[in-house]
Amino acid sequence: MEKKDKGYNRRDFINNGIRLALGATVAGTAAFTLSRSATGKDYVWQIDPFKCTQCGRCATECVRSESAVKCVHAFDLCGYCDVCSGYLKPGAKLETGAENQLCPTAAIQRKYIEEPYFEYIIDEELCIGCGKCVKGCSAFGNGSLHLQIRHDLCLNCNQCSIAASCPSDAISRVPADEPYLIKGDFTKGEEKG
Amino acid sequence: MGLLVLTGVVSLGWWMVRDPVSEFVTSEPGMDNRGAGAVIADIDIGAYFESMKVVESSLQESWPRFRGASYDNICRSPIPLIESFPKEGPRIKWKVEMGEGYAAAAIYKGFVYVLDYDETERADVLRCFSLEEGTELWRRGYYINLKRNHGMSRTIPAVSDDYVVTIGPRNHVMCVRRQDGAFVWGLNVEKEFKSEIPQWYSGQCPLIDRNRAIIATGGSALVVAVDLASGDILWETPNEQQWLVSHSSIMPFEFQGTNMYVYSASGGVCGIAADGPEEGTILWETRAWNHLVVAPSPVCLPDGKIFLTAGYGAGSMVLQLSKSGSGFSVDVLQEYAPREGLACEQQTPVVFEGHLLGILPKDAGPLRNQLVCVHPDDFTKVIWSSGSDKRFGLGPYMIADNKLFIVNDDATLTIARPGTSKYIELDSYRVLEDGRDAWGPIAVADGYLIMRDATTMVCLDMARER
Repeated sequence: MEKKDKGYNRRDFINNGIRLALGATVAGTAAFTLSRSATGKDYVWQIDPFKCTQCGRCATECVRSESAVKCVHAFDLCGYCDVCSGYLKPGAKLETGAENQLCPTAAIQRKYIEEPYFEYIIDEELCIGCGKCVKGCSAFGNGSLHLQIRHDLCLNCNQCSIAASCPSDAISRVPADEPYLIKGDFTKGEEKG
Repeated sequence: MGLLVLTGVVSLGWWMVRDPVSEFVTSEPGMDNRGAGAVIADIDIGAYFESMKVVESSLQESWPRFRGASYDNICRSPIPLIESFPKEGPRIKWKVEMGEGYAAAAIYKGFVYVLDYDETERADVLRCFSLEEGTELWRRGYYINLKRNHGMSRTIPAVSDDYVVTIGPRNHVMCVRRQDGAFVWGLNVEKEFKSEIPQWYSGQCPLIDRNRAIIATGGSALVVAVDLASGDILWETPNEQQWLVSHSSIMPFEFQGTNMYVYSASGGVCGIAADGPEEGTILWETRAWNHLVVAPSPVCLPDGKIFLTAGYGAGSMVLQLSKSGSGFSVDVLQEYAPREGLACEQQTPVVFEGHLLGILPKDAGPLRNQLVCVHPDDFTKVIWSSGSDKRFGLGPYMIADNKLFIVNDDATLTIARPGTSKYIELDSYRVLEDGRDAWGPIAVADGYLIMRDATTMVCLDMARER
């Protein structure tokens, strides 16, 4: 029986498939590179502090443990008050005893500066991003405490799990060259300086 | 086998010896290195004086103190006021720069009195202006070094025909002659009564009742009466419970034939006899209402209900005052959180046809920052609210010519129709373009409305016809 020449055998099919896949990869990479160089932008996730409602999910929904969300303090907005609703539980004594502190991990250090001012500093090692202090500060204070995603901790997931569960749509992608949405003017001041 | 046993013994020993919480730091009182407090300075009250001009006025109406002549924030002038603004905005009669703060005006027969802080002179100064022109006539005050602490000034003078009494940020009381600012007497409350200055400085507005000034002092006395002419202390209410002064102001109240002063201190609330043989003594008191920061003043209702409210999560309490035998008793009728009913952080509610109107604080849940009207029998029952698209801030509100005037934080003035069935807004206009922290109470007299933001005081001509 005469052997039929198919002209396109299994080996050719596999070879062509590999070439096609390689070509597509090269083309895709090139297109991706071109598109990035065209916009010049990388994007990272960040919290808009003016949309944030301090629901507490930032502490529990991040894929990292502890969360990449931390409280930051806009010192230029702070009133440096003795009665700080971001530091003290409602009705608490004006002192540093644990029973008076709002923060569950004592991540806010309170320091006396001079009469009548106190400074509040966040210890990010201890902060779990629960936002309890932010809620207190926003309700009665100047709103100087607010939450931000720290990019030295954030994995920049393709889909941020906190953003997916945020009830106020406060988390979105922002340009990587302006990765923080800090309240107040002190960061702009640094740039100017 | 031996090695395994040895490893186990070593591990057990390590586990028993190791302190797993060795790196923990305990949070204890005193870790903030709090200072001993500011040294009480000797202040030469009345030492500062400047006279600029002398003018006369034929105007006769007055808004002589915090919450007006009747202590209820209602202006009863017959002069009709506008209910909508002209297209170009309200008629601004005059505008004046102020030291940063919330101190507001009292008006007396054509003259405006306000206790300002002069940041250049570093002095508390009582400034007198003509109501019609805004011309500054004289200043009387005293040099005092104040640091910005959410503004500096925050009180309203009390004015009588002859005198003006002020309370400064650090509780310096000053009495001057109304017509020309001549110094009459001064009282350094912090020094004389060994009392504490409230957080963010004093917000207490003085009270003039007959020929005396009534001042809450805290410290060695709770409240004192000072003779306006001589400055002599007429009586002192003992402060056995060591209550502190709050930002709340003393409210006169006549209940079943007894005149009393109701004061919501930091520590409790009490009624003090305002006349008769017991004058100056405590008629009733309760520690049930005890909060660190209390700014609104008590609202005393004819049936003996006393509404108390405060910010910082405190919420509100309703007391029922009753006469029992020769004395009084007081019971707690209601106590609730800010999200459960009427509560206010800074301003004192207004009573309209028996209903209380007030702006809820930020922690009041879905109704936060809305103006609400609550049922007279149950202050947790909200009859109407201004709506989620009409929220306000910490600014003042009052009633004049059957219109409700509300100032938002950004100095937007809203006119609404007060009512007990629904919120009816008539108009609103942003009076100061860059307005912020417009929290100083409103004063209205002779058709003029005075309001302010953190740094500017403005007089609006609100008369429908002039």
